[in-house]
Amino acid sequence: MEEDRTASWDWRITAHTSWWSLNWRELWSYHHLLTGLVRREFILYYKQTFLGPIWMLLQPTLTLLVYVSIFGKLVGIPTGTVPPALFYLAGIVLWNFFSEGFVGTSKIFQDNIHIFSKVYFPRIILPLSVLAVHALRFLIQLSFLLLLILCFWIFGELPYTFNTYTLFVPVIVVLVGALGLAFGLCFSLLTAKYRDLNNLVPTGIRLFMFLTPVIYPIAGTPEKFRWMVLWNPLTPLFEAFKFSLLEEGTFTILQLIYSGTLAVLLLFLALISFNKQGDKLIDIV
Amino acid sequence: MSTVLEVENISKYYQLGMTGSGSIKKDLQRWWTVNVLGRKEPFFNDPASADLPKPKNDILWALKDVSFEVKQGEVLGIVGSNGSGKSTLLKILSRIVRPSSGMVRGTGKINSLLEIGTGFNADLTGRENIFMSGYFLGMNKQEVQQRFDAIVDFSGVERFIDTPVKRYSTGMYMRLAFSVAAHLEPDILIVDEVLAVGDTEFQTKCLTKMKEASHVHGRTILFVSHDAQAVANLCTTALWLQQGEIHEMGATNRVVGNYLSSFRKGEHSQTWDKNNPTPGNEYVTINRIEIAAFGESPDHIITVHDPIQVDIDLSCWCEGFDLEVCLSLHTEDGVCVFDMGSPNSKAEIKEFRYTMLIPGNLLNDNCYTLSLVILKNNTQSIFEFPECATFEVQDLREGMTYFGQWNGIIRPQVKVEFAAKEVYKQITLT
Repeated sequence: MEEDRTASWDWRITAHTSWWSLNWRELWSYHHLLTGLVRREFILYYKQTFLGPIWMLLQPTLTLLVYVSIFGKLVGIPTGTVPPALFYLAGIVLWNFFSEGFVGTSKIFQDNIHIFSKVYFPRIILPLSVLAVHALRFLIQLSFLLLLILCFWIFGELPYTFNTYTLFVPVIVVLVGALGLAFGLCFSLLTAKYRDLNNLVPTGIRLFMFLTPVIYPIAGTPEKFRWMVLWNPLTPLFEAFKFSLLEEGTFTILQLIYSGTLAVLLLFLALISFNKQGDKLIDIV
Repeated sequence: MSTVLEVENISKYYQLGMTGSGSIKKDLQRWWTVNVLGRKEPFFNDPASADLPKPKNDILWALKDVSFEVKQGEVLGIVGSNGSGKSTLLKILSRIVRPSSGMVRGTGKINSLLEIGTGFNADLTGRENIFMSGYFLGMNKQEVQQRFDAIVDFSGVERFIDTPVKRYSTGMYMRLAFSVAAHLEPDILIVDEVLAVGDTEFQTKCLTKMKEASHVHGRTILFVSHDAQAVANLCTTALWLQQGEIHEMGATNRVVGNYLSSFRKGEHSQTWDKNNPTPGNEYVTINRIEIAAFGESPDHIITVHDPIQVDIDLSCWCEGFDLEVCLSLHTEDGVCVFDMGSPNSKAEIKEFRYTMLIPGNLLNDNCYTLSLVILKNNTQSIFEFPECATFEVQDLREGMTYFGQWNGIIRPQVKVEFAAKEVYKQITLT
């Protein structure tokens, strides 16, 4: 009888928070919330703007112009055989995906405390929606990049550059996204508790950008400082991304395995910590 | 009826002052001592474990060992003053915060409505917000689509459905937001204070909708409100929380009555003695005035159905003429309800007692003031004591479908018949 009774409960709430209890069925039942949030983000992004969705392409183009003029013309960072515009754009597009995904998820608790404190839903939905928004934005910017590469091919300024690695671009992108999400989730837990980190995130991400071969090829870094860039799990991913699209980049399979393993491991750790700590943070934020 | 929700020894405490311990250094130090060295918590004694010395005043128990059960279809009202733990309880039940100890178990889908307009975004249109809010509250796309027309209809904002909600009036916004929530169809619905906003009409609409949900659809509702009348009207059972503990739980009328009376302590009864200057003059002095529901103590609330007994004890210091006590009853606005004299009594140097019984089902749900005049030989006023006592008549509105305030100074039970003519012949007014 007693057993029947305990079995008949659908759910229970206890003081204990668990590392593992990710309820997939429940998560799926909220997938409309995820798509809704992504849709909302896009709608809000362009509401009351004159240029609307064009901004999505205009923003990286403007950054590109700045980079081409400063790093290309003034500083003169070598970009190998590739035209600087393409080289920078490839870096910027992938970097934007990583950094915006990271910064967006790291602020999840503070930006959404009014929702978290009023309604229950699987908390992971919100960071996932942030990442999805940036992934979609990335896809649009990537098509812009591919279009530009095509133009360069047609006008003969660049030889045909696709190779077998081009097939692995989706894997590279997924790994970059996973790293962004993993760092973002960890920081979301930390910034919720220690607000000091809020000030570090923008500076930190800018610094991190210079430790990642976004606007320079790894081949162009001085030997003495190369180790600073090499430990970064993003380095081989960025090099591989540029190699697969522009045939310009230095990396080894071992480095890629290192990045891949680290990305999967970090994401796993971040997810279970988020699962475990997320509930408790509502009392603190 | 089966139990759908069981709360077992739920406690929740907060540490006062700094949340967490405030700095990374302390947290790292704590982590090191507890997890690596395996020693006891250096900064914080867990109050839940009995073997540790109890910390002094830095712990706030928002909830302390709260246990109760809710049956299917029951409407449980939770009352209590500010800080009694009502909201914390609802937040735990809604899975927003974790309890510090204890367990909650339940069956079926549970939805909570702790705020009106959760997930609303000012820049989105009414239509977009209906979908977003629905998703946040746990509906899926098909469910929102199915109910979309009903939601819009209930809210009455069809014309503005494609306008951003930031251009809505507050009332429209509230109505739309509540409509979404009102069309949720969970097995257990948790509602917190949402009725505090909006006008009377809106509140009535909300309460009606909730009544329908429980009566027609057999949903279980947990309802928190400051408005004891709303609780009395809507709920079958009430839970009175006081400082995080269950003070009383049971039939709504009794619990809500006691809860309301707890504010009334001493107000309905006034006694004067030697230390306390007695109102009066050389002819008479008043010793005690007491107003109570007939047969109840003065601490008990007075409902519209209760006969009301007014007792006045007075001392007379003169003799040789007729004394008459006149009481007049006024509403808050100063309208006189009645002015009533007493039979004459020969004045003697003695104590007198005056009693008046106002029948039940006469006064309306309102605040009333009594004024006292004592007459000599039915004509000459020898003592006046205006506004000598105030009392409130409450309407618990059990089992009524109307939630608004009844108009009028009095609310007598008047026999009324209304029927089709053929049927009417068979009815007689008695």
